[in-house]
Amino acid sequence: MSGRYIGRKLVQAFVTVFAIILLNFVLFRLMPGSPDRASKNPHLTAEVIAGNRARWGLDKPLFPDQLVRYVGETLTGDLGYSIKYRGQPVTEVVLEAMGPTLLLIGLGEFIAIIVGLALGARSGWVRGGRVDRIGNGLSLIFYSMPYFVIGMPLIIIFAAGLHWFPTSGMTSPGASRDLVASLFDVGRHLVLPLAAVSLGLIGAYSILMRASIIDTRAEDYVTTARAKGLADGRILRAHAFPNALLPMVTLIAINLGYVVAGAITAEIVFNWPGLGTLTVQALAARDYPLLQAIFLIIAISVVLANLAADIIYGYLDPRVRT
Amino acid sequence: MRSSQRRRGAGLLAVLAITGSAILVGVAGPVAAADPVVLTVGSTQDLDASNPFNTELVVGYEAFQMTYQLLVDFDKDAHPAPGFADSWERSADRVTFKIGADKKWSDGQPATSDDACFSWGLGLAAIKDESYIGSGYLDPGIKDAGVTKVECPDPTTFIAYTTDPSDRIFQVYVPILPKHIWGKDDYKKIADEKFDAPLVGTGPYPLAEWKTGQFARFVRNPNWGGSKGFEDTVVIRFFPDNTDTMVQALKAGELDYAHGVNSDQFKQLQADTATYTAVAGAANGWTQLAFNTYGTGTGKTIKNGGASTKALQDAAFRDALGYATDHKALVDRVLGGFGDPGDTVVPPVLKDFHVTPDNPRTFNLTTAAQKLDAAGYHLDANNKRLDKEGKPINLRLYYPNTDDNYKKVAQFVEQWYGALGIGVTHQSFDSDTLTALLLPPEADPPGTAKYDIELWGWSGNPDPNGLLYVFLCNQIGTSSDSNYCNKQYDDLYDKESKEGGAERKATLAQMQNLIYNEAPYDVLYYDANLDVYRNDRFAGWQNMPSNGTPFFTYGLLNYTLLTDATAVPTPGPTATAAGSTAPPATQGPSTGGTSGSGVSPTLLILLVVVVIVVVGGWWLYRRRATRAVEEE
Repeated sequence: MSGRYIGRKLVQAFVTVFAIILLNFVLFRLMPGSPDRASKNPHLTAEVIAGNRARWGLDKPLFPDQLVRYVGETLTGDLGYSIKYRGQPVTEVVLEAMGPTLLLIGLGEFIAIIVGLALGARSGWVRGGRVDRIGNGLSLIFYSMPYFVIGMPLIIIFAAGLHWFPTSGMTSPGASRDLVASLFDVGRHLVLPLAAVSLGLIGAYSILMRASIIDTRAEDYVTTARAKGLADGRILRAHAFPNALLPMVTLIAINLGYVVAGAITAEIVFNWPGLGTLTVQALAARDYPLLQAIFLIIAISVVLANLAADIIYGYLDPRVRT
Repeated sequence: MRSSQRRRGAGLLAVLAITGSAILVGVAGPVAAADPVVLTVGSTQDLDASNPFNTELVVGYEAFQMTYQLLVDFDKDAHPAPGFADSWERSADRVTFKIGADKKWSDGQPATSDDACFSWGLGLAAIKDESYIGSGYLDPGIKDAGVTKVECPDPTTFIAYTTDPSDRIFQVYVPILPKHIWGKDDYKKIADEKFDAPLVGTGPYPLAEWKTGQFARFVRNPNWGGSKGFEDTVVIRFFPDNTDTMVQALKAGELDYAHGVNSDQFKQLQADTATYTAVAGAANGWTQLAFNTYGTGTGKTIKNGGASTKALQDAAFRDALGYATDHKALVDRVLGGFGDPGDTVVPPVLKDFHVTPDNPRTFNLTTAAQKLDAAGYHLDANNKRLDKEGKPINLRLYYPNTDDNYKKVAQFVEQWYGALGIGVTHQSFDSDTLTALLLPPEADPPGTAKYDIELWGWSGNPDPNGLLYVFLCNQIGTSSDSNYCNKQYDDLYDKESKEGGAERKATLAQMQNLIYNEAPYDVLYYDANLDVYRNDRFAGWQNMPSNGTPFFTYGLLNYTLLTDATAVPTPGPTATAAGSTAPPATQGPSTGGTSGSGVSPTLLILLVVVVIVVVGGWWLYRRRATRAVEEE
């Protein structure tokens, strides 16, 4: 793969990110309302409201003052202070929420990719078989269900009913500082949301993989492998599966890009303190600095994931390197 | 080949098993030997700030009062009770408060009048500069009470000088902060402080840990001198706009108290009286139809804006509409029977001040139609009601999308007004958009107030002024959502602000009747707070006030009155780890970083990632090795 190809992709990614930074600024200011109006305090006099606007830098003209300040600060890594979480730097608030999201969605993706691909491959390879009928059926059901529909029964059965796991949250209040105990504690809280996220994602991978394997089955090299007398399982694993993986690269890359965005409904149902929940809170409070930071991070992660997909594709398929 | 297949299978299983094991071993979890007794409370609000001056939410008020005392607290009927000050004496121009000589902060430092002077001094300094502290919710109380100066002649005496002998000084919601910790801050700097936990306070349970979006944990103040609750620790867990999960947590025994369930959940839990007690407490607020009366009392108009008809400026028209809304039906059919039909603008929960109207309106569409006819608003040939300019009256009714009930109310109003020949088009907006839509030209930034009726609500303070304030002329452009202006009302407000006792109550009654008769608002119903608590662990619950709920009202007395519901104290269900004792009560301002205990999530993620990389790498290595053998 040529350096020119990679260089071009890098430049495209950089330009996209910069355009997103500008778009980010405009987008949230197009929304009606303003953070200083998000509360209904009868004591807020005109002076108090004006004071708040000055404090948050909203009293200056949008262009050039607010825009120049925003771009300059963003490029130097200063994302400002949160309006909702008063006084806290945005970077701190976002980083605090990013860890839980990466843990939940990252692990959920990992499990879903492994199980989904295996299930899809087996379903497609033996079409109409028992695995296909049950696996594909379940995949379609879970694929069509929002996370909260999967999550709430899990809470009702395994938390409220059987008391196996906590209903929600990520840690127990007053939990020990001890590492092992903390791992246990987070682990207990992680089980149900992880199950919901994994189940929701498995469907997408399984269905696409099944279709891809069915296409591959008809390829000449598969027929040749059969003619050579190779065992069925060996043909699937060594010949069909790797080729069927190619279309999956895009889906995996796109999904991994959204790992940072989190699954808003899953996080809300389980009260998981991640970026999804934070986004909803920031939106309700018109917390411009926080919203900008969240959307910037999501956008950058999607751009980077797509860049990775382009490069991997270039590596896997020479036809796209031009 | 068979063996390689097994190895691959084993590799895959190993990856899943090891990543999963980190999770699943937690099912058992370590069991604590001697856990503190934990009272766990659920709230549908998420704490926005631990700095008292920056919170704007009910849960924030609950949190800061756990940590800090007010100078004067509230008893079970929301009357003044000893707080930071033990006693007080009122004279014409001052109140002399006495503070206990042996009072201490949770870190053992003496708590004296100096702390009170410092805390009220912050507010007075802001008032002097015509400014505010933080969100501007707390310090205006000092101004409203007419306080001009404070003095601390000795460690046990705090004197507040006032312009009038009113009793609102006993309802000032300013927390007394420890001067030895925050003393270097002025009123501007204190608003930017983060108030990182653990905090030092004189309250019964100072904040020990706050995990944003998850919970706040409060531990017993070893130097608390009042009655002691059974619980060692109070945890407030946040379920932002998620009552379903909160109710499941209550059922699972993770919560002892759930604040703000919906009416269906309330009815379901109410049926199980052995396990739960459900309390429909009167809320200090209401839901109203606010008519856009812009121009009333001022004669002003808005170019390309304002109400769609001048009829809304006519008190007779608004009064007639008051007969066309069935408040009782709304309570029964929208609120599921929980709440009270509305009338005056001081809710009944403030029983010392609320009055029922002298001339109450009762729902009757025929009467409404007759009154409209009498006021000069007649029907045309098509049964459309015309305003005095001869235009058919079609009203735009806007409401926020924060509560499903608003839509149901709007549909009823559309039907009732429709029966009078008045068209209603209703639409919902997010709260912020709606607020922007209501703004008149006096606001900053200026708006055009292009609406006819706003359907929304207010909640207030223990003193009715917090709600009566919104009808003042000077609130047009800030908090007024009816743009109502009446000099007579403003004068009464000024008068009652300087009065106390029976005199003030009489003036307040006059004001309530004035607003009721003039009808810039049609107060539809007083909302109810639907709270549910479990009966199995704690006893001694009291509603505060008697028609309210145990928590999330005024004062924290209930937290200190709870007793053990069983003979033997049981450990809290949410305290899972060993050695959870109260943290050392030390604190410094703005120490930075996240507070509390536990290992950072980032470290946990790193550990999981390392496990995945190592096991995954091993699996890939094995896979390649196996393939190489097969190719041979």
